[in-house]
Parts: sequence; structure tokens; C-alpha cells
Amino acid sequence: MAEILLSVVKIAVIVFGFVMLVASLMTLLGDRKQSAKIQNRIGPNQARFFGFSLAGIPHFLADGIKMILKENVTPAQSNKFLHTIAPGLVFVPALVGWAVVPFMDHYCTGTVQTLPQMNYTEVCVGGEWKNYFSIMHFNSGLLFAFAIAAVSVYGAAIAGWASNSKFSLLGGLRSSAQMISYEVSMGLSLAGVLMIYGTLNLNEMVRMQGNMFGDWLPMWGVVVQPLAFFLFFLAGLAETKRAPFDLPEDESVIVAGYITEYSSMKFAMMQLSEYAATVFIAALIAVIFLGGWQVPYVYADGIRFLDNHWVPFGEDAWYWISIFLRIGAMVFKILFLVWLQFMMRWTLPRFRYDQVMTLGWKILLPLSIANLFVTALVLAIL
Amino acid sequence: MGNVTVKNVDRIKQTLWEKSYIPEILRGLSVTTSHFFRNLNPNKEKRTIFTREYPEVITEYPERYRGLHRLMLRDDGQVRCVACMCCSTICPADCIHIEAGEHDDPTIEKYPTVFVIDELRCIVCGLCVEACPCDAIRMDSGRHIPPSLERDEAFFDRDLLMELGGLSEAKQGGQR
Amino acid sequence: MPKVTINGTEIEVEKGTTLLRAAAQAGYEVPHFCYHPALSIPANCRMCLVEVEGNWKLQPACYSEVTDGMVVNTKSDRVVKAQKAVLEFILVNHPVDCPICDQAGECKLQDYYMAYDAQESRLRTEKQSKVKVFPIGPEVLYDGERCILCTRCVRFCEEITGTNELTIVQRGDSAEIRTFPGRELDNDYSVCTADICPVGALTSRDFRFKCRVWLLSSTDSVCTGCSRGCNIHLEHFRNEIQRYRPRYNPQVNDYWMCDAGRLTYKEAHEDRLLRPMNNGVQLNWHAVGEATADKLRRVLKDDGAATMAFVVSPQASCEDLFLAREFATKVLGTTNFYLGGKADGDSDDFLIEADKNPNREGLSQVFGGLDDLKTAVQLLQDLEEGTLSSLYMMESHLPFDSGERTRFIDALDQLDLFILQAQHRSDLAAKAHLALPTCSHAETSGTFVNSQGIHQRFDQAFAPHGQSLPHWQIFTRLSKALDAPLEYTFVHQVQKEMFPAPEEEDDAAQPAE
Repeated sequence: MAEILLSVVKIAVIVFGFVMLVASLMTLLGDRKQSAKIQNRIGPNQARFFGFSLAGIPHFLADGIKMILKENVTPAQSNKFLHTIAPGLVFVPALVGWAVVPFMDHYCTGTVQTLPQMNYTEVCVGGEWKNYFSIMHFNSGLLFAFAIAAVSVYGAAIAGWASNSKFSLLGGLRSSAQMISYEVSMGLSLAGVLMIYGTLNLNEMVRMQGNMFGDWLPMWGVVVQPLAFFLFFLAGLAETKRAPFDLPEDESVIVAGYITEYSSMKFAMMQLSEYAATVFIAALIAVIFLGGWQVPYVYADGIRFLDNHWVPFGEDAWYWISIFLRIGAMVFKILFLVWLQFMMRWTLPRFRYDQVMTLGWKILLPLSIANLFVTALVLAIL
Repeated sequence: MGNVTVKNVDRIKQTLWEKSYIPEILRGLSVTTSHFFRNLNPNKEKRTIFTREYPEVITEYPERYRGLHRLMLRDDGQVRCVACMCCSTICPADCIHIEAGEHDDPTIEKYPTVFVIDELRCIVCGLCVEACPCDAIRMDSGRHIPPSLERDEAFFDRDLLMELGGLSEAKQGGQR
Repeated sequence: MPKVTINGTEIEVEKGTTLLRAAAQAGYEVPHFCYHPALSIPANCRMCLVEVEGNWKLQPACYSEVTDGMVVNTKSDRVVKAQKAVLEFILVNHPVDCPICDQAGECKLQDYYMAYDAQESRLRTEKQSKVKVFPIGPEVLYDGERCILCTRCVRFCEEITGTNELTIVQRGDSAEIRTFPGRELDNDYSVCTADICPVGALTSRDFRFKCRVWLLSSTDSVCTGCSRGCNIHLEHFRNEIQRYRPRYNPQVNDYWMCDAGRLTYKEAHEDRLLRPMNNGVQLNWHAVGEATADKLRRVLKDDGAATMAFVVSPQASCEDLFLAREFATKVLGTTNFYLGGKADGDSDDFLIEADKNPNREGLSQVFGGLDDLKTAVQLLQDLEEGTLSSLYMMESHLPFDSGERTRFIDALDQLDLFILQAQHRSDLAAKAHLALPTCSHAETSGTFVNSQGIHQRFDQAFAPHGQSLPHWQIFTRLSKALDAPLEYTFVHQVQKEMFPAPEEEDDAAQPAE
């Protein structure tokens, strides 16, 4: 019973308190305010609370109210059932994937000790690990995340088909073709990482990244697999259908792609799930390549740099401080990656469709395979 | 046509590094990022934001701004226009309607009894001002054409056009 | 035949030709103000000075006759200098008020300044001020400042009308055109002085400030004021006739036309009937065709064609009358023709004819003489006696005095059917069971035959106003509705039928005014 309650609380905090907040705020701050700053504009500032524009946040509420109040149009001749559930099919996977994302290491009921001689591995002495900071402790978490992320393509394809519109259909086709192309190199680019860490469990993976090369260089994914990081980031951009890979909703060619015929809250869900997917990809990159919740040299039992060891504020206090530091680090990394993705969106123009396909199949895929072989070779030699 | 020569232009060969677009993407990112952070500067004067918050902050138009027409006046406050129709003739949008009348003063002789400009039709080209031989019509009122709910409200008649003040230094008045 | 070399072009001209005409034949324009081909030559403006080889002085081209072997230069430096000097002299006291001048756009001074002078004024003194807006006559206004004293108007009144109203008073730069004491410029051709005035000194009161001349489009047409059929430039702007201007035709009107004729254009715009009316209800042409055909059939069946009167009008063109004859005889089956038209008016021995209908001659040609047509008086008599049951009328004009007209209108009440094709709303149109709108001669093309028997074409200037149609088109429409179609679509088809071999129109080269 307590476990179920705990899960519910975790789901509520992570999904609604974090993902939804970040995703929906991003629609405003990321898409509008950030682009405005880049383009030397002010951005939305006319909706106000008591005369304060509050960096445009009231617009987010106004937008929500508007979306809810708008008429929900379902095109004639469309498949009503599929047209209605398609937004859900897109939206749900974007949230379900969060089940395996660790926001912090498991909580140790005893004391945590870091063993520098064992490559800075943390062990729990006199207690056991309790999973309080990710929804689910799942040994094949990465596979789960991938499986779920791949499902969202069905939503887009179904939305495109069910709308009974050529533009939507083209958008749906583009979306599915593009997602499948990038799914391949995405998975293959991670194979090298898996070889090095030897686990599919995301929390384990993050723990491994706390290890050090020569006592000073953290073994983050981006350090050991720089090419894989680059490939994954690119494929992740393409996977989330964000610019410069937003071909499925190429407004200058196919109106709005598979969301052409959506209005009201359905449209909002489509949009929101796109942002949620962006945040999810950011979280995956953070976990796999940027050390997840790891803060370099900060451990549960103090700060260790080379052979020095400080424990500020005492052992117990420091444990809690380190927890908050690490959660903060995770959130910061996610936000930074989201910001970076948006930066890419406002920097690069949209690719042509054949360029997207060429990039996926002719460049990213061979590169990721090469990366896999080189990694395997290096590991075999070592 | 006999002098046509063919000039061969070679394609610029790109190196692999250039083909990867990574340097260019980084360069682009540096531009956008520098803009982003510059415009987050707490010191608002250091920001480079060009947006004009229009309804709150009314822009001062420059002296030579071409806006709403106005009709100039003589010393005695009568309209300077002599209804020569030069402006309505040259108007490419055909938006000026003038009806001439006999003036009491034989030295003035002709004046516009009706002078209506359809500001909705006006394309603000300024040809009427150029065409006017008497400097009677100007577009220096420093106002843009106001929005209106009714089409009729955009018909500016003679008396209304005479009332509009001007931005420029040009003096009202003159004998003829 | 003397040979003369003008600017290197050798040309043979008739004896007695002036240099100006010879130059025009050779293709060179010699600027001139005072010279007018229909008037005597005073050579007072000095604008036409040309260089004749062997002559120390420049010669006025308008006055000097050619002699054999003459070598003339109209463009030499001396001539150009003289032209500039003359224009500068004329412009010394000219107010240059082109913006308010009605002549601007067709002003010789303006044209010549642009072509031959185009230099800035060197005058630094006040200009002479003279009389402005002087009512020199009921139709004409005079502006002394603009006048260049070419005396065309004075000579016109001396030589063409012989009324001698005008003269020059004062001397030097105070000289002005004035009427003799106690007179005003009130002859019947007074507006011609405004036409021939090369500048804006004399302007027509009717056209004053109405429209700038550069906005006007011009169509060759014929005046409908009387049976003289003066040739005119019909000048219109935005589907409205703005003025008539005489068109040179040495056989008919030379360069002139009368003041009354000039004002007849107003008829084309005043109080027009613009939509077909059925007992006071507006219809469209489709419905009116049906209704008219219906009523005509019923009347023809009940009363027969013999009791139907068909009034033809000498106001209509030959084409209209031809179709009227075809329609009446072939479609309706009546030959009961009556003659309408306006009553006679004043006449003189120059241009004005007593017959105020433009096409009586054409009507008589179409109907093979006027003898078969009954008069309007006969029509009134027949109506009052009740021998007529239906009346089909072209145009609402009848040569009645007011008493006869009231009787006629009263008599209309007993008719079974009264169809009127008319341009204007009138008491007659109000009485008509069917009133069909026709258009003026400006809105269609056709032919008038004037009192001298000359066939004169007039062209369409603009589209018919409202839903009006030419008479002949109404007849073809009705004939189709009556299942006996007259197959004409274009006016030239009618003309081809009427005039089997159209005589070649001799395009008399119009000499420079």
C-alpha cells in the first residue's frame, strides 16, 4: 500500500510537477520569449496580472483558457474514433517514458561511503537502497524508454491518416518515415555506451558515470563516447520533430502536417506532447551522456578532488545537501539541453526532406555503426 | 547577341569538415546565443530590442514622414487650392475628387467647392504633393491614416483636410 | 506651280499658297497664334516668322506667299531666337495661371512655350493687371490678362458672323478686347470665339471649371440640334458628355457651330429613362421582351394590325429607322406610319436650320419619301376619333403646341396598348403601358443624313447609360420575342443592308487651325 502511495506521489511530482510544467512553460518561454530575445524582439507581454507582464507567463494561462474554450472541430468524413484518440496516442508515450528516468540516486537508509580505490563507487553501509527518486527501478529501463518513444510515431501516423486531409496524411507519412530512420541510428549510437557501462538500468548508468579517469576526469558518456553523444543529440532532435527537422509540420509546404485538422485542446495536446518529447529527449541525453544527477567531485559523503576530502556541514547534513545538489544538477542539465534544442531551432533553417533522409541513412547510420565497431575494438583490446 | 561569352565558374570544393556543417552550426549558434544573452541583460539600455510598444509608446514620425494629406491655407484662412485637378489627374489610385467653383474674388477665380480624398484608396505615393503647383496639398501632417469602422469615415473632405496641422517647418499663408 | 525649298525639302505648291501652308504640306510646323485658316490674315502675333533666303528680315509665314525658287528655313538660329523673343514678349504680361485656366492642356501658348521657348522668366517687375472674369457675353467670359491680342475673335465677329461686336481698346500693354459700347458678345455663334482663342482669354461659361481638358476623351460625332448636322468632337469624361466642339467639315459647318447646338448635349444626360417600365414597374429586358411580345400579340389578334399606329421619329438614326420599318412591316404587319419629331424653330442663313430634327432627310430616304407618312396632326385626329386601338412610338417628341399636346395625352387613355421607346422620362412615358429606354447618339453609332443630303456617321463614345439600348436593338429583341427575328447583331450589318455599296468617306485633310 505504501509503495503504491509512494508511486502515485512520485508520478504526480515528476509528471505533473516537473514534465508538464516544463513542457507547457516552454511553449511560452522557449518558443516565444526565447525566440524573441534571439530576434531582438520583446515577445508576448500584453497579458498581465495586476499590470505586471511577469515575463509573459500570464500568456501561458490565457493560451490554456483559449485552447479549452475553442470549438473542437472534427473534419467531416474523417475517422472520428482514430481522430479523437490520436492526440492521446502521441501524448501518453511522451509521459510514460519518464517512469525510468532517475532524478537522483536511490536513498540509502544507512550511511553512504565512497570508495576511491574502487573508482569512486558509492556503497550503502548498514542499510539498503530505497528508490525514492525515480518512478520505477527497471533493469532494462533504456529499452523501455526506447520502446515507449517509438510508440508515439503511431499517434502521428494515425492522426495524419484519420484527418481525411492530404496535408495531414503527408505529414503523418513524413513523420513516421523520419522517426523510423532516426530511431535506428539513435539505438545504434547507444550500443557503444551500453558496452562501456554494461547495463540497461539508467540509474546504474548514472552511477557508473560518477567513476573517474585518473581521479579527476568524470567518466561521463560525453567523455567516453563523444561521437555517440553527437549522434544521439542529432537523432534526438529529429525524433522530437523539432526544427530543423520539423518536416512533418512543414507549414510552408503542408500547412501544419498531421496536426492540420486539429483544433482546441486536441491541438494543444499534440503541441504539448511535442514539447514533452523534447524534455524527455533532454532527460535521456542528460542521463546517458551528461552524468544524469552526478555533480563532479560531489559525493554523498563529501567533496573529493584528487586525494582531498572535505565534508562541509557534517556528515548527515551533507547527505541531504548532496541530494538536493544532485536533483538540482539533473534539473539544470535537462533545462540546459532543452534550451540548447530550442537554440538549434531558432538557429538553423529547415532541412529539405531528401536531406533529412540522406542525413539519417547515409551519414548518421554509418557513423553510429562505425562508432559501435571502434568502441567494441577498443574494449576488446583493453 | 554576338558577344555572348561563356564563363565557367567552378563549384567551390568543400572539405569534409565544412561539409559536416559543424563549424557553421556553431557559428550560427554563437550568433543566436549572443543575441539571447545580450537581450537578457538586466540593464535594459544595453539590450538591442527594436520592438516599438505601439499603443503605449507613440512613435514620433520624422519631419518628412508621408502621412495624412492636409490642405494649406492662405493668409486669410481660405484654402490655397485652386482646383487645378493636377493631383487628381496624377493620382494613380484615383482617390482625389475635386469639384471646382467660381470664387468671389476674380483674382483667385477658382477654388474647390468639394475636395474629398478617399484615404482608404490612397497609396501614399506622394505624387499629388509633387504635382501641386500651389503647394496647396501636403502629406506632412505627421499622422497616419486613422483606422475607421465605416468606409465613409475615411473620406476626408476639404474642411477636415484644412484643419490638419503639419509637422514640417513649411509656413501656412501666401497671397495666391 | 511654284517650287519652294523648305528646310531642304523641295515641294511644289499651288500659286498663292502662303509659306505656312506650304511648310505644313512639306511636313513642318510653323507656330502661329493669330493665323486661322477661315479668317483673314493680320500677321500681328509675329510667332510665325521664318527665314527666307535673300531677305534680310524674317518673314511672317502666314502672310507671305510662295514664289518660285524660294528657299525657306523655319528652324534656323535666327528663327529660333525670334520665336523665343516673341514668346517672351507675349509672356511678359501673361499671368501664367495655367492651374486655374480652362484652356490649359489645349493652349497654344502652353504648347509653344514647351516646344519653342522653355526658358525661365527674366521679368523682375510687376505684371500689368487687367480685367479678370469679365462677362463679355452671355456664353463667354473674358480674361484680359491672359489675352495675347491675336484678334481672332474680333475677326470672327467681323468676317464670319458679321455682327462686329468686338474690338481692341487702349494701346500698348493696356490693350484689351472689348465689345463696342452698349453691345455684348451675344451672337448665335459666340462660343466659337472661345474655340478659336489660342489661349484662355475667352472661355465658355458652360464648360467653365467643369472638367480639365486633358481628362477628356474625344469621339467624332454629329450635332443633333438641327438638321444641319454640324460635325463635332464629342468630348466626354467618365461616361458623360462634357462639351461639343466643332469638327472641321468644309461641306457642312466649316470650323463652326452654333451656341444652341453646343448645349444640346445636356439632353443626353437630363432626366433619362434608364430601365424598361411596365405600367410604372421596373423590369429587366428579358421580362420586358416577354411582356411586350405578349401584349402585342393580343392586340394584333383582337384588333388587327390596321388599327395600330406606328410613329417614326426623325430624331432617330437611319439604322434605327430602317429597323423600325422592317419591324413594323414584317413583324407587326402594319404600314400605318406617322411622322413625329420636334417642331420647327428659329433659323438663319448660316448654319442654323429651322428643322430641329437631325435626320428628316434620312427618314425620307429610308421610307422612300415623306408622302406616305401621315402627319402628327392626323395622328391626333385619328386618336380622338377612336380609329386607333394601339400606338407604337419612337421617341417622345411630336411637333405639337401645348394645347395639342394636352389633347394628345388625354386621347392616349382610350388606347388598348401604348408602347413608347424614349430617352427621357416625360408625361408620355408615364402614360405608356410599356416604356422602353433608348440611348442617346453618344452611346451608339449610326448615320444621320443632313438637310443637304450628306450621309454623316457618328461613333459611339461610351456605353449606354443604365439599361438603355439603341432603337434598332430594341426592335431586334422584340422581333425575337415575337418569333419573327430580324437577324442583326451589329450595327454594321444594318448599314450593309441599307447602303449596299458604302460610299468612300473622303477624309479631307484638316488644315492647321
